[in-house]
Amino acid sequence: MPAAVSHEGARGDDELLARIAAGSQGALSELIARHGRGLRAFAARYLGNAGDAEDVVQEVFVTVWKQAARFDPARARASTWLYRITANRCIDQRRRRALRGFVGLDDISDHVASPDADAEATTAARQELAIVREGLSRLPERQRMAVLLRAVGDLDVVAIAEVMGASPGSAEQLLVRGRRALRDHMAMAAAGRERKPT
Amino acid sequence: MTRDEFERHRRRFGDAVESWPAPFRQQALALMAAGAGPDDDDAALDRLVLEATLIEGDDQALARTVLARIDGASARSSFLPRFLLAPAGLAACSAALLVAATLAGYQAAGLQDDLQDSELLALASGARLTGNGGADIAADPAEEGSL
Repeated sequence: MPAAVSHEGARGDDELLARIAAGSQGALSELIARHGRGLRAFAARYLGNAGDAEDVVQEVFVTVWKQAARFDPARARASTWLYRITANRCIDQRRRRALRGFVGLDDISDHVASPDADAEATTAARQELAIVREGLSRLPERQRMAVLLRAVGDLDVVAIAEVMGASPGSAEQLLVRGRRALRDHMAMAAAGRERKPT
Repeated sequence: MTRDEFERHRRRFGDAVESWPAPFRQQALALMAAGAGPDDDDAALDRLVLEATLIEGDDQALARTVLARIDGASARSSFLPRFLLAPAGLAACSAALLVAATLAGYQAAGLQDDLQDSELLALASGARLTGNGGADIAADPAEEGSL
């Protein structure tokens, strides 16, 4: 990726955050348009629940509105900061869910609605995506977070480490193990399909 | 990402695909790289994960909800001084309550000490203790002088 151009995108986010800090709701809407989709996808697949993910992303942008003045572009990229807030909110949400499930107030089963679940089974490509989703849901939490931050957030290892509060080496290990486990799951699913009688 | 979607995002975010926000950027780059030959395994897996992960959502509805929550929060906070909602305000209130509780505790303990002193004096002087020990001693100076 050309460095000058990637800086241009980061500068756009930095400027939006500066305007948000000054009280511009238009800038917040623009930031939501730029990052809402990615943050929602990350939260939904990490939490395994689309409703919880929507709540989390709303909380994230309310936090951004309140804390934008604290963002320091010299310390981190805006996208890293956004994913860090989202990851923390996701962890809190998961704990709340677990507690509510423990005391019997909540059903903790994971579910992310698939827009066309029936059609999904009709083509091999969509089956493959379903297998990837299943594989993701089976990964240990931190491996899943690392894989999602890389694939959805397009964060490098250093940024993933910042978001997860880990060393770059640990983040790299989580990413490597997560990818390996995902590939193993996909290979097993493919072998299972081949063994099935037609 | 389809070609139409690509064009729509190009009008929205500009011509430089690399400056687009994630995950639009990865999808656009994947579309541009399609047919350019195989890339490394990790990049291919990341693209697959991205494709499997994205869910439909209405960003405009999200923005409306967030702005409504912000407006609602600011309306609520106008009823309470902002200072009280801030961590420093809460800490100050807690400290004031703690000081008040301490003073009240000392006051109550002081009153109780007075009562105990009166009862001890009555015991030493051989006075008959009643439910209201201190009052009896003061009311009978003759007995006090018999010591």
